[in-house]
Amino acid sequence: MFAHGFGCDQNMWRFVSPAFEDEFRTVLFDHVGAGGSDLAAYDTTKYSTLAGYADDLAEIGIELGLKDAVFVGHSVSSMIGVMASIKVPEMFESLVLVGPSARYLDEGEYIGGFSHAQIEELLESLADNHLGWSAAMAPAIMGNPDRPELGEELTNSFCRTDPDIAKAFARVTFMSDNRDDLSKVTARTLILQCREDIIASEQVGAYVQQHIPKSEMVILDATGHCPNLSAPNEVVAAIKAFV
Amino acid sequence: MPGDPHGTPTEDFEDLYENAPCGYLSLRPDGRIFKSNATLSGWIGFSQAELLGKKLHELLTIAGRVFYETHFSPLLRMQGFFNEVALDLVTKDGKKLPVLANAMERRDDAGNLLFTRVTIFQAAQRRRYERNLVDLRTAAEAAKGEAIAAKVLAEAGLTEEQAVAELREQFIAVLGHDLRNPLASINAGTRMLLQEELSDRAQKIVALMQGSVSRMSDLIDNVLDFAQGRLGGGITVALDAREPLEPVLQQVVDELRVGSPSRLIETHFKITHKVYCDRGRIGQLASNLLGNALTHGAADTPIQFLASTTGEKLEISVVNGGDPIPPEAMNRLFHPFFRGDGRDSPQGLGLGLHIASEIAKAHDGTLVVASSPVETRFTFQMPLEPDGEG
Repeated sequence: MFAHGFGCDQNMWRFVSPAFEDEFRTVLFDHVGAGGSDLAAYDTTKYSTLAGYADDLAEIGIELGLKDAVFVGHSVSSMIGVMASIKVPEMFESLVLVGPSARYLDEGEYIGGFSHAQIEELLESLADNHLGWSAAMAPAIMGNPDRPELGEELTNSFCRTDPDIAKAFARVTFMSDNRDDLSKVTARTLILQCREDIIASEQVGAYVQQHIPKSEMVILDATGHCPNLSAPNEVVAAIKAFV
Repeated sequence: MPGDPHGTPTEDFEDLYENAPCGYLSLRPDGRIFKSNATLSGWIGFSQAELLGKKLHELLTIAGRVFYETHFSPLLRMQGFFNEVALDLVTKDGKKLPVLANAMERRDDAGNLLFTRVTIFQAAQRRRYERNLVDLRTAAEAAKGEAIAAKVLAEAGLTEEQAVAELREQFIAVLGHDLRNPLASINAGTRMLLQEELSDRAQKIVALMQGSVSRMSDLIDNVLDFAQGRLGGGITVALDAREPLEPVLQQVVDELRVGSPSRLIETHFKITHKVYCDRGRIGQLASNLLGNALTHGAADTPIQFLASTTGEKLEISVVNGGDPIPPEAMNRLFHPFFRGDGRDSPQGLGLGLHIASEIAKAHDGTLVVASSPVETRFTFQMPLEPDGEG
């Protein structure tokens, strides 16, 4: 099962998941608010913590009867997968966490990489963003329900996210703290870490690796936060070696 | 072409690159800058030599970096380009420079990334307008919330004692007045925006906003009329025949067409006599009837809007297709807060038909409805010269 992170949708896996289709049954989905998801299903209370997203993931797994499956999560979905695997331990035999961070905010001796002020600035800048902005304005202003095509033509075909939900998701993501969950993970875990990742640094990845009992870390020869796009072959090779 | 008799100047491509009216950046596959132009350096204060080897996200705010990494970079990789991305560049002296960026990847025949070109435009003004639009939308939503609150209050008020009635009326009158001011600002704002150079879709958006403004304005008028407590004794009208009525009706139709561009409203006007009426009120009546037809009529059948005079009377009819009005609803149709479908219609508070019938009474006229599976027809009739002044 492949779970995308903040900012995009299941298209994130387009260069990775096909490599597993021969040997595995692959499951891809969009979190509520992203891609082709039903925006009406968004519930402010449920999704005010990552647990709401983890419940969805568990629900999908139960619906599909997943047992001893492999979970591959990117960015914030790493922790969503961690939470789901604690909730339903038999669902995932192993976890692959791409660019995970158990906490983005600095706190005491813990270095997450971001200060409160920086996160606030990020949330602000979401409002100015065009790609998302059009999607927000489209249904609200153009959005006579009898003319859906007006909204459609304004939005991107890839990585569509509803900006209001994206903003809430960003807040939930960057305020989350899953450090206490790590030790409860029983599944085998692989951490894929890039160099020069400004969102989840090597230090942050190492923290996750040190606290998940049965885990190992592979440093990819790729930079940035999205190796599933920038170095898909390496990601595929590392996952294949692990599973 | 130095010898050109018309004096056409020569274009120097090196100079065009360096001093183009936009910034240029070229990125290596690892994202590092290997070429940039003088225009960009002029804007952000970093020399071309200083930019060499930097990553684009080093020129962004922290928030911008996260955004770039999670949104734009994936988009670029997936579709090979991105357009009109809003970014804030950080200049050498720490100031923010709002820009729009387009980017395009160049790949070889085997699909390997060779480099990425980025074009950068300054966008301070545009960003301000967009901010305004977002603010207007927020204001409109807040105003809508207040209107709903007014409705709840008004509905609750109906069952309360007389003592509360006065307070309620005052509250709604003040609220209605207060709603008008921000609405007028929104209206003025949209008109100002239309004078700017806008993209086609921005023009569409602004036109639709204008439609919503006019709908909301009608809504406020209805609420105020109701709240001001004049309905028991009939609505106040000022009758005269100094101006023609037809342009008023035409404007009502035009406004509604803007708000519901997908709906067909056919007009047949034949007003050949002078009509002593309150044109604003007749316009309000027509607007309420048409609004009702837009809400409840079948979307695929044109709405007929007829207005004609004979030697004795003015007749205005609004005809729509769709399901007939159920018999049990007929006698309550003109009651305040009556809403036929029982759903929370975003179109109104259920005051439109009530106000329309009150306007008809104030003109010594009648408003009747006939509904069958073929059509639903509201007909307003009034004498050309009513008695008294309402």
